[in-house]
Amino acid sequence: MLESSLDLPQGTLDLLILKTLALGPQHGWAISQRIQQVSSDALQAQQGSLYPALHRLERKGWIKSKWGASENNRKARFYELTAAGRKQLAVETENWRRLVAAVGQVLDFA
Amino acid sequence: MLGSDLRVRLRSLFRRQSVEVELDEELRFHVERQVELYVARGVPPEEARRRARLEFGGTEQVKEVCREARGISGLETLMQDLRYGGRVLRRNPGFTAVAILSLALGVGANTVVFSVANAVMLQPMPIEHPEQVYSVSSHQYPTLSFPYYRDLRDRATLAAGMAAYRMAPMALDTGTTTSAGAQRVWGYLATGSYFDLLGVRPALGRFFHSADDRKVSAEPWAVLSYNTWQARFGGDPGVLGRVIRINTRPFTVIGVAPDGFRGTELFYQPEIWVPMMMQPEIEGSSWLEKRGDANAFVLARLKQNVTRAAALEELRSIAAAMEREHPEENHGWTVKLSRPGLVADMGRGPVEAFVLGILGLAGLVLLAACANLGTLLGARASDRGREIAIRLSIGAGKFRIVRQLLTESLLLSLAGGAAGCGLALVLMRLITEMRLNSDFPIQMEIAPDWRVFLFALLVSTATGLLFGLVPARSVWKADANQALRGALPGEGSRRGLPLREVLLVVQVALCCVLVTASFVSLRGMATMLSARMGIDPDRVAVVGIDLTQARYSKEDGRQFLRRALDRIAQVPGVTLAAWGNSVPLSMDQSNTNVFRDGSTDFRNSNSIHTSYFDVSPGYFATIGTRLLAGRDFNWHDDANGPRVAIVNQTLARKLTGTANAVGRRFLQSRDQPVEIIGVVEDGKYETLTEKPRAAVFRPAWRSYTPGAMFVARCSSPESIAPLLRREIAQLDPQLAVFGNGSLRQLTSTVFFPGRAATFALGSFGVLAMMLALTGIYGLASYTVSRRIREIGIRIAVGARPVEVLGFALRRTSLLVSMGCLGGLGAGVAVGRVLESVVYGANARDPWVLAGVTTTMLAIALLAGAAPARRALAVDPVDALRHD
Repeated sequence: MLESSLDLPQGTLDLLILKTLALGPQHGWAISQRIQQVSSDALQAQQGSLYPALHRLERKGWIKSKWGASENNRKARFYELTAAGRKQLAVETENWRRLVAAVGQVLDFA
Repeated sequence: MLGSDLRVRLRSLFRRQSVEVELDEELRFHVERQVELYVARGVPPEEARRRARLEFGGTEQVKEVCREARGISGLETLMQDLRYGGRVLRRNPGFTAVAILSLALGVGANTVVFSVANAVMLQPMPIEHPEQVYSVSSHQYPTLSFPYYRDLRDRATLAAGMAAYRMAPMALDTGTTTSAGAQRVWGYLATGSYFDLLGVRPALGRFFHSADDRKVSAEPWAVLSYNTWQARFGGDPGVLGRVIRINTRPFTVIGVAPDGFRGTELFYQPEIWVPMMMQPEIEGSSWLEKRGDANAFVLARLKQNVTRAAALEELRSIAAAMEREHPEENHGWTVKLSRPGLVADMGRGPVEAFVLGILGLAGLVLLAACANLGTLLGARASDRGREIAIRLSIGAGKFRIVRQLLTESLLLSLAGGAAGCGLALVLMRLITEMRLNSDFPIQMEIAPDWRVFLFALLVSTATGLLFGLVPARSVWKADANQALRGALPGEGSRRGLPLREVLLVVQVALCCVLVTASFVSLRGMATMLSARMGIDPDRVAVVGIDLTQARYSKEDGRQFLRRALDRIAQVPGVTLAAWGNSVPLSMDQSNTNVFRDGSTDFRNSNSIHTSYFDVSPGYFATIGTRLLAGRDFNWHDDANGPRVAIVNQTLARKLTGTANAVGRRFLQSRDQPVEIIGVVEDGKYETLTEKPRAAVFRPAWRSYTPGAMFVARCSSPESIAPLLRREIAQLDPQLAVFGNGSLRQLTSTVFFPGRAATFALGSFGVLAMMLALTGIYGLASYTVSRRIREIGIRIAVGARPVEVLGFALRRTSLLVSMGCLGGLGAGVAVGRVLESVVYGANARDPWVLAGVTTTMLAIALLAGAAPARRALAVDPVDALRHD
């Protein structure tokens, strides 16, 4: 799981990866950097959980991988979102927002 | 989604190497970039690398998780099991080879037998809707008369159509430049409705139909079989319209039958079909209007949705009506329906019994092979106790280990099955190409179809699972602790007999049964070959001719026969010569009905059914039949004199009540009295296992026998036979001959069932012996190796060799003896069954018992020799260190 000060529910990493890839194909390291940057260093995707997640997502068919040349011309594996993945991203985003709203309601209530 | 899942899984399966490498690279890339990041931030490179690696965590663990994420499935473990199993089998090449060989033999034998059973009993004929087509016959004979057939055809409303046919020899002259005159071939006489009823389509040209089969002797059409078209006419499409000569008469070829169509008899390969109306031309005399002569095979196709029972009812009532209308000729004729192909069911009984018997035998052999392998694998599983114990203790599930053992067994059995299948295909090809050495073309085509392969696959798999259960069972009951100490359960358990030992007893018993059966049939064969047949086949040469086929007139024909006889009698080496319309035990047997002197009731039911032979003077002396009373024929017994005949003892008793019937009379028919001038000894006429049959011999010179078999007594028939042929050829080079050889060869067909049974049993017996040998050896050597320690101790304290052997092999010997006794008992029971197939087989024959005992003893000694030697050669000091 993500190693951070924040304790995140299961499957969140998948959602973040999908979202990151929605912007375009990237390799694993770039994805982890991205997540870190955009969350202002609050979320750090550790390699130990990132790569298994990537492989799992690939098996499920939501992303696909291809070998290519990185920025400094080294061989790297690039991942990109598939059509199914795009749909899944929408579904999971929707689920997340509803979850957050629901939890927020409970918290705001008391 | 499923597609990509499968793709990824398959990829991880088959391209493991590259997947590993890629994973490596990917992770390495990440670490490198991290390092660069730190360096860019000002961290020294060494420190950067250390930190990056630390952050990353254990690479191997990550890789493992990734691997898991990619999905290790049942498929992967299966591949693992297969690879491991393959390694294990490779490590023991001797065992693997023996196992695969015994499986190949067992599965191969079963596959061959099954394919024969398939061809005989399961496979439908290559005609349209074969389930609607039946053979119509009477209860006594497979044939009906032609007028009878016509009446059935006209009156049966539930049949969509009927047809009649007959198998007949003909002299074919293709008229091509390569043909050597007329040659004897076998074909069909068939009514015009034949091909229409069967629904086959010609490969070339057309068939003849009912409109082409109307006028007697005036429908000269011929349809060739596919093989004949290829072989005799070179597959030339211009054969249509060609005029060929059959029995010197011109026929026009109008079509070619499709490839694979061989008529309606399973064992018969015809070359040509001609219309039934040509029967007089083909056979010389006509029976088309003889109501009492049952010469035609009849087929019927039932209408749609008509049940067999309903059709049979109707046919029976028609038969009853005809019995009333024609009391003399058709009295007692009832009809029955049966599946066509085995001479209207006449052959079905014995053939099916034989096939089922062999199927059972093959199954027994396979069972023995399984027992054998189970024993050996079980022994080895105990040896691998340690390996299994370790696997158990590090957490392997029992199920996983059992599954791996079963995979090993299946691998072995499928390999054996594949080898067996290959073996079977070779054997099947051999059987198809085998032709019995007889004039009548008996040939069976066994082509493997999907049922056969499916059967082989099922048998292999079942076998693998069956004998794989033995080691699996011992693993299942294993306790890791015990196993580490070197004992899997079933080892020291004194409760009853361990499975391994039971299997050995079973196996030895099976072997014993098969060996007993082999000996029984061998003995039967020996008896059969030396049985009194009433003829002397080893001292008679034969050659047959058929003058109808050459269209000799009656007078010319008679003179020809006389001249041929004179020439043959003068061949050096020939002491006596004669001819007959046929000889006993050949394929061509004729029957007739005679009546007692003073009979007034001339219906068939009151007649005496007898074989008949038209023979020339000197026949009995030539062929070796003893004349018991009276005289032989002479050349004055011709049409000018009174009717005379010679009868055999059985007929003499039936006609007159006594064997001394010389001078008495009987009636050939209502107004044909015949005087008995001689009595000969009984013999065998149709089969070797028949009960004593009546036979009457008539003088050939009185009438005319255009079909004649010349017999010549000599000391070496094989060398004289070609000379006989030459004499005939010198008289008429265009005349086709047949059956040239020794009388033994001509009569060999009757020996075929006994020979086939003996061959099959013998082969299975040998197989079973090999299996028993390996089984006993395996168990004995295993027992010895398990007890090396104790043997060493006993030797050390001074036991004598006999005592050592006794200790080591006592149990094994006991088991083998138990198996033998059981097998012997069962074998005697089986022998009873054989008595009907193999003439003279007697299960309680002392020779048989002696033979079996000796064989089993020899096997046991041979198998136990090496382990015994090993036991005796144990060095006590080494043994004590042994595990």
